[in-house]
Amino acid sequence: MKLMDIARVIRSKNAGPTTLTLDLMFNDETGYVQAQGSPALQSGAIALLYGLEPRQVEVIPYPPACAIKIVMDRKVVAGTPGDRDVYGAQQHGPLLEIEL
Amino acid sequence: MSALERLRAELTGGEMRKPLRALAASGQLGYGIPDAALAAGLKREPHFIGCDMGSVDPGPYYLGSGQLATSDAITRADLTKVLRGARSINVPLLLGTAGTAGAKPHLDTTLQMVRDIARAEGLHFRLASIRADMPRDVLKAAVRAKRVRALGAIAPLSEVEIDGAAHIVGQMGIEAFQRALEAGADVVIAGRACDTAVFAAIPAALGYPLGPAMHMAKIIECSSICTTPGGRDALLGTLEGDSFTVDSMNPVRHATPMSVAAHSLYEQGDPYRVHEPEGTLHTDSANYEAVDEHRCRISGARWEPARQFTVKIEGSTRVGERAVLLAGCGDPRAIAAMPEILTNVEKTVRELVAGLVSGPFKIFPKVYGIDGVTHWPTAAPTPPREVFVMVEVIAATMADAKSVATVFKQYLLHNGFPGRISTGGNLAFPFTPPEVLAGTAYRFSAYHVFEVDALAPLFPLQIEEL
Repeated sequence: MKLMDIARVIRSKNAGPTTLTLDLMFNDETGYVQAQGSPALQSGAIALLYGLEPRQVEVIPYPPACAIKIVMDRKVVAGTPGDRDVYGAQQHGPLLEIEL
Repeated sequence: MSALERLRAELTGGEMRKPLRALAASGQLGYGIPDAALAAGLKREPHFIGCDMGSVDPGPYYLGSGQLATSDAITRADLTKVLRGARSINVPLLLGTAGTAGAKPHLDTTLQMVRDIARAEGLHFRLASIRADMPRDVLKAAVRAKRVRALGAIAPLSEVEIDGAAHIVGQMGIEAFQRALEAGADVVIAGRACDTAVFAAIPAALGYPLGPAMHMAKIIECSSICTTPGGRDALLGTLEGDSFTVDSMNPVRHATPMSVAAHSLYEQGDPYRVHEPEGTLHTDSANYEAVDEHRCRISGARWEPARQFTVKIEGSTRVGERAVLLAGCGDPRAIAAMPEILTNVEKTVRELVAGLVSGPFKIFPKVYGIDGVTHWPTAAPTPPREVFVMVEVIAATMADAKSVATVFKQYLLHNGFPGRISTGGNLAFPFTPPEVLAGTAYRFSAYHVFEVDALAPLFPLQIEEL
């Protein structure tokens, strides 16, 4: 099953200019639990998708909103020449292909 | 009686605290404040009005250049709305991160607008302004004392970087706003500030519990973004001691337990903790419950006072002048060969302009359709039919940047490659000149936090009577 088929929200944004945060939100606990347990959403697997070291990625479950937060280092500090996405709002692409 | 004293008399008596209403008029002043929700909010007789006017999100240009991200006309219109609104019900107006980035030029521009509006509208009030520009000697001493820490993936702060920055600001907390209110301010216009401080300063000054007060501030500072469907309408927060209620002033936007809890995730690296100069807000123990379909009550957040004050700093440094080449390509063979073509053209350009430009330069080509947005680790299964090529040039002078961009344009247009059939040219220009001179480029040179023993000296206050 694709993550994209069960998530209500898959979004990315800067949390400050050095950090990217990706939020996955689910309609209910079933979807949340399903995603939360998947090896495809562990920090090592996410790091591989984004070309980062596992230590640069943190996955934080957030049950109050049936959500999972992924936090990672930005490769370029936001807005430095050569950056691709100053706000970090379009870095969710690699997550759309995840098979849970 | 000052504005703060009036609130103290109205809301507090011994241990009792009456419900305190805070109106969040705008999460980003200067982009247009919807009138109906603001008017509805004023009818609820809020005890104060708060607005956030800036952020680090738009990148280093605004902090570096001193320019506002918002337009002059819309910014003036928004300021007029909130000043008129606050004065019409005689309550304090607090505004944080003036002019996008909150450094001296941003604050000065905003203050001049406030003075102009007051004169034009016949408004009279005590105006407090609080500066957030960090003294360089203080920062250098902190670097030497090893009291500065990087926030995330950025180099350690050095004295060289401190000297080289165009502007360095620090985020003020509730202390600075409280000092302005204790000085009798009706309107407080602050430089770079924590968005929470705008909304938590008055509750804290009146003795409301800091956990719920700070949590309410965190939720309401973006106005109705925490509702579903989210929007930019004014939002009312009502603080009732141990809990608070949020209520969008647009009846179609509902604050639900899910929408409000989800807001704790927004632009936050840690959904359970918010670090402020004076302490840390913990929301792991928070409860979200529906009051009705439109409103949500939140309780249970805890405030942990800091053992050591800290101030988050942001610095921006000029890196050069920017020229940008914009062109499309619709030839499948050119698209397939594009990485190689771009490498070859850069090599040719470097040879041709050597000795003709005044200093070093950098070229950052991006091919939209391939990897313009995301640096993909693997190629797409099918190549796109068209791509857009954007070549960013950063050089010491604008003349150099133009030289590099124009030569790049011509050699990219006519660069030969194996199997080429489109010998008329490799590029489609949507307009000419296809190179845009985009002005000075900056980078964030500081995004750090440093330990301080006293907050007040870093954020000087000035009072004027309008």
